[in-house]
Amino acid sequence: MSRRDSTAPPEANPDLRRPGDPRSPGPLGFVADSLRMAWRWLTRMRTALYLLGVLALLTVVATVVPQEPNVPTTVRQWRTGEAGPGQLWADLIDLIGGFDVYGSAVFLALLLLLFTSLTACLIPRYRAWWRLVRRSRPPRTSHLASHPEHATFQIDASPDQVLATARGMLADRRWRLREDDGREPAQVAAEKGHVLREGGSLVFHTSFYVLLIAIVAGQLIGFSGQVGIVEGHSWADTRVGYWTHDGGRLWDDEDHTGFVLTLDEFHVDWHRDPRFGGQPSLFLSDVTITEPDTGETYSDTVGGNDPLVVDGMKIHQLDWGYAPRVVVEADGEVVHDAFLTLTNTDSGFWRGAVKAPAADPDVGLEILFWPYAPPDETTGEPVLTGAPWAEAPLLFFREFRGDLQLEAVQNVRSLDTSRLEETGAGGLRPGGSFELADGVTVTFPELRRWVGFQVSSRPAVPYLLLGSVLVLIGLIPGLYAFRRRLWVAAERSGERTLVTVAGRAFQRPQAFEDEHRRLLEALRERLAGATAENTASDDAPLDDPTPEHDQAVPR
Amino acid sequence: MNDPQLAEIAKLLFSPVTLVAYTAAMIAYLYSMSSTVGRAEDGDATAAVRPKGLRIATGLGLLAIVAHGAHLLTWSFAAGRYPLGNMFEFSNVAAFVAAIAAITVVQWRLQRPDVVGFVFLGVLLTLGLAVLVYTEPGPLMPILDSWWRAIHVSTIVFAFGVFTVGAVFTALYLLRETAERRVAEARAGNMSGSTVGAAFDTTTRDADEDELLEVVPGREEPDASNIDEDAAAYGIALRRALARPVSVAGRTVHVPVSLLIWTVVASVPFALVFQRASAMVGIPVVALAAVLIAWWFVPSLPAATTLDSLAYRTNAFGFPLWTFGVIAGAIWAEQSWGRFWGWDPKETSAFLTWVAYAGYLHARATRGVKGRGAAWIGLGSYGVLLFTYYVVNLLVTGLHSYAGL
Repeated sequence: MSRRDSTAPPEANPDLRRPGDPRSPGPLGFVADSLRMAWRWLTRMRTALYLLGVLALLTVVATVVPQEPNVPTTVRQWRTGEAGPGQLWADLIDLIGGFDVYGSAVFLALLLLLFTSLTACLIPRYRAWWRLVRRSRPPRTSHLASHPEHATFQIDASPDQVLATARGMLADRRWRLREDDGREPAQVAAEKGHVLREGGSLVFHTSFYVLLIAIVAGQLIGFSGQVGIVEGHSWADTRVGYWTHDGGRLWDDEDHTGFVLTLDEFHVDWHRDPRFGGQPSLFLSDVTITEPDTGETYSDTVGGNDPLVVDGMKIHQLDWGYAPRVVVEADGEVVHDAFLTLTNTDSGFWRGAVKAPAADPDVGLEILFWPYAPPDETTGEPVLTGAPWAEAPLLFFREFRGDLQLEAVQNVRSLDTSRLEETGAGGLRPGGSFELADGVTVTFPELRRWVGFQVSSRPAVPYLLLGSVLVLIGLIPGLYAFRRRLWVAAERSGERTLVTVAGRAFQRPQAFEDEHRRLLEALRERLAGATAENTASDDAPLDDPTPEHDQAVPR
Repeated sequence: MNDPQLAEIAKLLFSPVTLVAYTAAMIAYLYSMSSTVGRAEDGDATAAVRPKGLRIATGLGLLAIVAHGAHLLTWSFAAGRYPLGNMFEFSNVAAFVAAIAAITVVQWRLQRPDVVGFVFLGVLLTLGLAVLVYTEPGPLMPILDSWWRAIHVSTIVFAFGVFTVGAVFTALYLLRETAERRVAEARAGNMSGSTVGAAFDTTTRDADEDELLEVVPGREEPDASNIDEDAAAYGIALRRALARPVSVAGRTVHVPVSLLIWTVVASVPFALVFQRASAMVGIPVVALAAVLIAWWFVPSLPAATTLDSLAYRTNAFGFPLWTFGVIAGAIWAEQSWGRFWGWDPKETSAFLTWVAYAGYLHARATRGVKGRGAAWIGLGSYGVLLFTYYVVNLLVTGLHSYAGL
């Protein structure tokens, strides 16, 4: 490969130890030399390549290994050996922080190194680019014929006229021209694409700082919380109202505005065609918002791809489930009367739990719910199907008594049965009631649905978008603009003038080949136009309209 | 919506019509390529002879694209939506993009009809993989019904098509470059022990000397009469540089043994992803066939540097597309899931693909890595893309799972 194939500026590939480098004297000289070499090492493209390789490796780990922030239960199962390749592997993965790659020390160190390398790489490139913008001067050439694009033609105009016309044409096309310094032989030297290509590349790389700052700032000032609301219920935006509350360091609980969200109705439907049975076709929440200050109310909808913005807080509809109302009476007293928020399982049923510590001893119910369990036509026994539509709901429960251990942190939807004893079981249709042997009555008066909303505030998102736009704005000229130089020379050859147009592209030689041809044509036309009166008849044809060169093809 | 009769027509248009048309076009392109071995390498495309074979190939290729377009159209009507809802449809559209790019960009704009046959080979491989994840035309989940989804998915699928073309060029470059290097080494007489094959039994001389090469008895002549002896001998030397002589029934046959072994090594783990017997047999067999075709046509390929530049230009075109696709995905995620980036396995691997291709672009500009090193990184990047697409969709559970089968 020839040198001109290089798509990177020389600043991107420095030598670690330059021939003329003096050794620093004194006891700290070694340290100073090492630091200088480390800095140069960081500046090298090859180093960036290694760092990208390590980043890719870490990302492979993050793709293959379950990540704790995303799927904590799976990670727990990997650690205990219930799932995954076994405990030994889990220990090894833990050792490198593989269960939370993007929160691990290794990743942070890599990020630091990548950004240091980026900075080390960019500083000299900014300087060089600025010099390029301010005072780059296209060099003269003394070997016109040695350039890859090279063509000549003859014309009647004088050499001075030719050069002036070429200057005018190139200036019109926004080429940077070398000022005429009176050196002989006279020559037009021009350059183009050098500012744009390197500039694009610099914008592209700089945009990563914008992205990084936006992400870090977003982490600090952003907020996101989840809450489940049953149809017909209202919820107020306060610190304690959320099921999960995840605010950044700089998020203040005072920032909650206290608007009230009422879920009027949740619409859900499915394709009933047996080929696509169970595939949902509709998710939509009808909500009413009450503004905290004015008390003003308005209705709106929240859909799958259609979040609602209230007081700068974005409300997304993320999840939904069935919410049966379950009333439990023990010893003639109501010990539980609430809507349960059931979650779907892979096995076609929905699950949840009732915890009633008001009874003595505590009553716990494990709930399994089938939305569509129609009675068998002959026996009348319910047939359990996995269909999600609630057209023949069946609520099945197992009763436990004993100590619920509510003082410990536990899952809302499951029971810790370690100190509980199973005392009975039963099944209910909506409106039904079931009396257990120990005198506990379970009633299932109605079925509603609940919707899981995410409420979030991410003020950094516009800046993130800005960073992304900069990535693209920089990327396109960085990849497609190309640096090229052009020289025009004119000399007397007998009665006429021999014009030579030579050029060289540092990237995309094929694109330049076309451009060279177009420039040649345009120059000829301009000159012909200027001298049309007296040279209409004997305008020479193009000497070589197709230059012999292609791209860097070695023979 | 969901018209079963239309769905039947769509299926028929896919297999056999589209598949057969692409195969025919590929064969015609490869044939026309092999009959123009002596094509001028100076890039003066207008001066190159336009054989009749190429016109037939172009006709067949356009016919295949029309059939494929008709298939996609009827399929869209059968499903009641545009065909970007599941893996079969993604692969299908990506292949369509690659096929159109092959004729419009590679053949007409870049004036490189000689590599179109290989792009069609890549198209066929992509379609073959699509069959393994076939899904009936059906409706879409409401969460997928968004403008940003349309932008995100179509850009990603488009980029997938472009990267597929790029990977074809990269692989061909590596093949051709290896062959050229070994032949050059053999000519220079400094064969090391590791360079197997080469034109050991052909006494090759420097082509610049313009001398005829000694004809090896029993060798096969390429199917063309308008090429000079020198080029033919050079072509055979290139082919043999990648092979080693194997004695079969008393005759010496040249077989690219190590190439075939590596193909099997690379394709078997990939085939495991599909978890079905047909893929376990089919993928390695098809991969072997594709590699054999590529190897056989190594002499007719453009020079390694041309292929390298084609590969770079294609991948450099795919990279901004992929970048935009990922950004569009993040915008859609913000709109739909309420967070722009959550390191979901699919997001993570899309990022991985981006890093890999960014590495490729950087490698192209790095001293000592560009050329072969960069090409291997480019091929690896396409492997990462396949991983992102097939392995993550089929084996890893995440938020993108519903976009799977």
